Amino acid sequence: MNSRLSTWIILGLTLTFLIGPFLIIIAAALSAGNNLAFPPQGLSLKWFIKVFEVESFRASFGVSIFLAIFGTLAALVLGVPAAYAMTRYRVPGAETVKLIVSSPIIVPGIIVGLALLQYLVIPLGVGIGPALFLAHTALILPYAVRVVSASMENLRVDMEEAALLLGCNRFGAFRRIVLPNIRGGVLAAFILGFVTSFNQVPVSLFLSGPGLRTLPIDMIAYMEINYDPSVAALSALLAFMSVGIVFAAERFIGLSRYV
Amino acid sequence: MFENRAIGLALVLPAAIFAAALFLLPVGILLSEAFQTESGWSVSAYGEFFASPRNQTVFFRTLKLASLVAGVSAVIGYAAAFAIVNLPASSRGRMFGLVTLPLMISPVARTYAWLVILGRTGFVNKILVDLGITETPIRILFTETAVFIGLLQLFLPLMIISLVSAMENMPRDAVPAARILGANWLQVFVRVILPLTREGLVIGGTLVFTGSMTAYITPAILGGSKVLMLETLLYQRVTVANDFVSASVIAMILIVMSFSANLLLKRLATARKSR
Repeated sequence: MNSRLSTWIILGLTLTFLIGPFLIIIAAALSAGNNLAFPPQGLSLKWFIKVFEVESFRASFGVSIFLAIFGTLAALVLGVPAAYAMTRYRVPGAETVKLIVSSPIIVPGIIVGLALLQYLVIPLGVGIGPALFLAHTALILPYAVRVVSASMENLRVDMEEAALLLGCNRFGAFRRIVLPNIRGGVLAAFILGFVTSFNQVPVSLFLSGPGLRTLPIDMIAYMEINYDPSVAALSALLAFMSVGIVFAAERFIGLSRYV
Repeated sequence: MFENRAIGLALVLPAAIFAAALFLLPVGILLSEAFQTESGWSVSAYGEFFASPRNQTVFFRTLKLASLVAGVSAVIGYAAAFAIVNLPASSRGRMFGLVTLPLMISPVARTYAWLVILGRTGFVNKILVDLGITETPIRILFTETAVFIGLLQLFLPLMIISLVSAMENMPRDAVPAARILGANWLQVFVRVILPLTREGLVIGGTLVFTGSMTAYITPAILGGSKVLMLETLLYQRVTVANDFVSASVIAMILIVMSFSANLLLKRLATARKSR
């Protein structure tokens, strides 16, 4: 068989399977009808407009954006010093610390959510909101530490030592030498953390209450009751948003070098 | 390397304490729940959990689906990765980007698409009825098939990425050399490609297997309560029956699985570094 032809057949089929469903979602979202269907019944943008009019979507979008931005920032505040220490200092028990900090990757989110609800929210009276925030921070922490460590390792220690010799103190050297040089890594960690947190479902399953839901949870709840194309429109918008963010990040800072 | 241990420790501690207190401790308490009985510590909860036919079904279904997804994605993954690696350099990067694109998109959106395709009034059923293959729509949604398709689409990119990077490290002449020496494609695959990409296959397979084991959204939306998997069973036991003992047992199964997968991956990574 012609090997070029078979190459394109294989890739065509794979891409149809991987990306085709999205095209179908976009088409279904453009429908003018009231029921979710493909091929769409007529064309209109009304479901894209409807998305912005659903009160609960607006609220839960706010919750998700807040968690993604501030959860990631909190993870960086904890993670950057830890990454710095682990690449620059002989920390006693470094392996144990690494294991503890990266543990949130190993434990499935649904279990984290349940554990926090049962042993933090209920007995200690911590609100669902703060618990959700802490859970998202914990979840992003491993990514923050890993990505920032990687870019810290590429930075030579002598530059910092030179700064120290020239009279900078430790913090000054960190601020003037290390930070500007790992900016790309920190930005990459932020973007990765943002997308991870925003798309995260299982951790928020148990940690949601009246008026406090993340967007993906709200979408699942909505589609259990309604069978209209608004979730399709919202899915399409979110897909564009994630792809846009990652594409821009790749373009401007070369995201894939850090991940 | 700086020598001052105190500063190093002080910088690491906030992150470590945060993760330990807010993460390890609550999860640890949850795991211990199954070992506490009225008559002291015991493992009887595990026996009781596995004695129930429903739990057995869910457990073996989860293992079966995760293995199937890993196996099928390996087959498709090899074909796709081989095709990508053999593309001219300019289109290779673009194709790689397209394959990894779905990973950035919300799993809810990705799973939702299958509702439109596989539902009673969905795309597939419409074609089947229009072509006269069936008279009434068949049920695809809420079957193991639907969950399998959803998981395969969710995790196939991970397998392709692992295999592409393994194949890029393969000596360029290995396959043409074997062909010239008279090997057919099956022999080339078994004797040349497979041994040279085994590591990538193990990495991809582990990621896909554990990903499928611990998936929640796909079985929840495409399987519903008819096709429970371990995570959806956990959710159901807690919300419907307040059954924390079962939840604790399931949590232990999932964590052990995911932890051993992680160890395996780490061992592979260090083995590669030292070579």
